[in-house]
Amino acid sequence: MTTDIFKADIFKALGDPTRRAVFEKLAGGQMTASALREGMQISQPAMSQHLAVLRGAGLVREERQGRFVNYEIDPNGIASLGEWLMRYRSYWPKRMDALKDLLKDMDQ
Amino acid sequence: MSDAPGRDRNKQDNELVLDYEFDAPPDKVWRAVTVPALRERWLPGADLAEAEPVSSIAGEEVSYRMREADFPHRESSVTFRIEPNESGGTRLSIVHRFAPAELRQWTLRAANTNRSMMRAA
Repeated sequence: MTTDIFKADIFKALGDPTRRAVFEKLAGGQMTASALREGMQISQPAMSQHLAVLRGAGLVREERQGRFVNYEIDPNGIASLGEWLMRYRSYWPKRMDALKDLLKDMDQ
Repeated sequence: MSDAPGRDRNKQDNELVLDYEFDAPPDKVWRAVTVPALRERWLPGADLAEAEPVSSIAGEEVSYRMREADFPHRESSVTFRIEPNESGGTRLSIVHRFAPAELRQWTLRAANTNRSMMRAA
């Protein structure tokens, strides 16, 4: 099943402490690979490898701007705030309809 | 019915703030929101981290921790504020927050699950 593959990718991507640190840095906003390496004992090829895994899991995406490549949390990925907001914008109206029905039932 | 649809007044980008108006009086809405058997009818326990509220001020506001049933089981907090409105009914405000702390929590949980998966393998 595709969702199982997807889960396995996320587990693998975030199971590594370095990748988790990279992911958490990106949660604060987009960054280049060299900015991400600041304060971390990690070579450029190793960082590229970690970013490739995060991208493969759909957690992070890259955005090319001229000579630079910025990395950011994938706004369509499961980790993003955008996805969270979208989910609950449609969730609450349904819950409120159910609450309205319950309030009507409580009269009887 | 004069029940108004939700009004959206988000202040921060990591939270949803929604207002709903109900014809029912505040004490009745309070019961619907806090009595577990009634709450279950519109907000199922499957969507909560725990059935008990995290905090509450009797008759005014109650907060629950939410936890998504599906992976990666994101957690969030929701507060329901209840107050009388101008037409004898109730204004119910929902403040639903997805904080960076929750984001960290589920990344850590994913990491722990990953470790136990490797142990099991």
